Amino acid sequence: MEMKPIIYQWHFNLFVVLFLAGLILLYYRISGFKRTNNNLCFTLAILLFLLAECSPLHFLGMHYYFFAHMISHIVLLLMCGPLLVLSIPDKCLDPFENGISAFSKILSKYSWIAWLTGVLVMWFWHIPAIFDASFVAMNKVTSIVPLIHAGSMLFAGAVFSWPILGPDKKLHVHPLAGIVYLFTACVSCSLLGLLITFAPLTTYHHYDNGLSGMAGSNPWNISQITDQQAAGLIMWVPCCFVYLTGCIYLLQRWFANTSYSNEKSIDLKTTVHHE
Amino acid sequence: MEENYLQVPEPEQALPDLSISSSQGVLQWISSVDHKQIGIMYLWLSVLFLVIGGLEVLVVRLQLAVPNNHLLSPEAYNQLFTMHGTTMIFFVLTPAIFGFATYLLPLMIGANDMAFPRLNAFSFWATFFGGILLYFSFLAGGAPDAGWFNYAPLNQYNYSSSPGIDYYCFGLLLSGIGTVSASVNFVVTILKFRIGSMSLKQMPLFVWMILINSFLVLAAFPSLNAALIMLLLDRQLHAHFFSSASGGSAILWQHLFWLFGHPEVYILILPIFGIFSEVFPVYSRKPIFGYAFVIGSGVAIALLAFGVWVHHMFATGLGNTVNNFFAASSLLIGVPTGVKIFNWLATMYGGAIRFKVSMLFAIAFLVEFTIGGLSGVSFAIVPIDWQLTDTYYVVAHLHYVFIGGSLFGLFSGLFYWFPKISGKMLDEQLSRWFFWLFVAGFNLTFLVQHALGAMGMPRRVYTYPNLPGWAILNLISTVGGFLMAIAVGLLIYIIVKGIRSGDKAAADPWDANTLEWMTSSPPELKNFDRVMPVKSTRPYRDYKRPEDADWKKPNKYGK
Repeated sequence: MEMKPIIYQWHFNLFVVLFLAGLILLYYRISGFKRTNNNLCFTLAILLFLLAECSPLHFLGMHYYFFAHMISHIVLLLMCGPLLVLSIPDKCLDPFENGISAFSKILSKYSWIAWLTGVLVMWFWHIPAIFDASFVAMNKVTSIVPLIHAGSMLFAGAVFSWPILGPDKKLHVHPLAGIVYLFTACVSCSLLGLLITFAPLTTYHHYDNGLSGMAGSNPWNISQITDQQAAGLIMWVPCCFVYLTGCIYLLQRWFANTSYSNEKSIDLKTTVHHE
Repeated sequence: MEENYLQVPEPEQALPDLSISSSQGVLQWISSVDHKQIGIMYLWLSVLFLVIGGLEVLVVRLQLAVPNNHLLSPEAYNQLFTMHGTTMIFFVLTPAIFGFATYLLPLMIGANDMAFPRLNAFSFWATFFGGILLYFSFLAGGAPDAGWFNYAPLNQYNYSSSPGIDYYCFGLLLSGIGTVSASVNFVVTILKFRIGSMSLKQMPLFVWMILINSFLVLAAFPSLNAALIMLLLDRQLHAHFFSSASGGSAILWQHLFWLFGHPEVYILILPIFGIFSEVFPVYSRKPIFGYAFVIGSGVAIALLAFGVWVHHMFATGLGNTVNNFFAASSLLIGVPTGVKIFNWLATMYGGAIRFKVSMLFAIAFLVEFTIGGLSGVSFAIVPIDWQLTDTYYVVAHLHYVFIGGSLFGLFSGLFYWFPKISGKMLDEQLSRWFFWLFVAGFNLTFLVQHALGAMGMPRRVYTYPNLPGWAILNLISTVGGFLMAIAVGLLIYIIVKGIRSGDKAAADPWDANTLEWMTSSPPELKNFDRVMPVKSTRPYRDYKRPEDADWKKPNKYGK
């Protein structure tokens, strides 16, 4: 049977659709769709989630190309997650107000938890055995695996970005600490990308021709080595530019915010004489 | 103090100036933990190695002056160019930058010393003995001979059986420990020992760049140190990290080295950007244009520095996919550097510029460094890199960056801060001679090497055939090299003359902006008894011109 062109390969997993519906409902209960900017962020997050999980990009990642799968990861982790956090209004509707506020306080106090969540989830899904196992039954409409995979990425992305973009600005980490937060995450991301780029082809089995379920299929004639290198490099280079952009944004926020102007160092042993 | 202890002399009143002879002898310098003395020793160390590294390359240039020359054997040539590169990077530029930072940093933030004075002394002496160890290799059987980058497999025992490369490893490890410990000291001093009223947003840009640079050092040097230890294990205990023949990887050395090496390029230029960000405003009599942008682009450069090292390895066969990604990222790194160039141009624009020698070097830097930057960007384009890699085009590029960038910045800083450090003025007329001689010699030496590289002349080869154009261009390059040597000789004469019989310097000869200028020239042992409150990025100017203080115009200069 002849396959449909890739552009028409949209597949909607039942659990993913239900999850999205739940997410929209939750957002309505939290925000009441009242603020345009938040609505815009939320809509973008949902659209990107659909792109990562239901679109031809997902299809390509599922059956043919590692690099497409990696783009999905970045969309979920570094775009959808932060957009979801940005969509939360600073004044939430009851009964969510207190819960969100408490969550913000915890992550403000223990921002390393947020950092670890983001980094560990990303690494977890790339452990070779887990990576290969995550594809089992992923293309079935009634499988819960896609939701576990995408949901955990989305959750990690949201928690990771919370100390920087969370709804309560007073509880954001200091912008300069935020730069260290993002830079160290960038280093972790680079290491993972580097490992994937230079890993032997036998490390990840899913894209071996015989195992992908579409044996021998390679619609764009990309060799396996090129594909794996591109996947690693996407994680390594463009991903780091996302973090870098975040660093520049934080620096801009630090300069623009006058409340940081009066920060002092600890006192010096020198006698200070005010003229 | 208990009687059994050695009585180490300590300065009683004012510190000695730049001369090493003091009433309390050389031991007083050796035992010093004062940041100013340690800073001066760093600078002297840098001058010493500048002369040694310069003499080495003069012999190299003599060898290359004519085709098919046999003045040097290939073995001696390899040792000389390796020692030249290693010396200039690790024992000239680095100590000079750290010397300025060690001397000026506490003065600029209103502190009386570094956070850890003894660690400060340790850092200097580790660097000093690192250099001595490296040069001891000449006596121990042969200097290292695999280039400053020391590529595998040339660094393996089978290819270099003299102990030179072992000394390279030990020397760089020791000086690397000094560099890392100094950086820790800088970070803590800046974050914890600023005068109470100086917020981060009011810190001098030189201090900002040292802060960023210190983080860069802390992140980059572990990679080099790890690689050096692995190499020592290979050579001494027959490990196989970098030996392809026995399951190791020669490319791994390049990854580890350039993971350090590319950030190292920025480690040698970011503090220089800081120097220029002090020099341009003072001699243009204007505040820096875009204070926040200078810092922001510095942070961007530091972060990007770790994402582009693979562009040094385009020709190693990593494949088109890898090359393409790093070509794109390497092109991007020119952006924040370009931002800074426009910062300085805009600072000069409309200013009442004083063309002192320090400012002349700053202006010359804008031209030379941009040439080096443009040739650098051309390497980000993979086909151009493949064509030109390992040719004299690379030699020209890196010297435009290291000399036209880093060394010009150090000279600019030297002429700017010399009166403060020594209490004496330098001869302005002779200094101008030095400037023009050096700039002419520099361009004569390296501009032609772009052409030589494009014509295919390979670097790191001890001689060359008499192909059309090669002989004359090499001769010009050698003449230029000797012109630079004469200029450096003149500089040393100017400095010695200045120290011995220069006019006494006022505390603030350039009508400058930052706190170091409110101390006497040279400063007393205790830097400050009192410091005026800091309310803007130009606190000393605010103090001198209270009616025109920056902090009274918050919208104009920001606050």
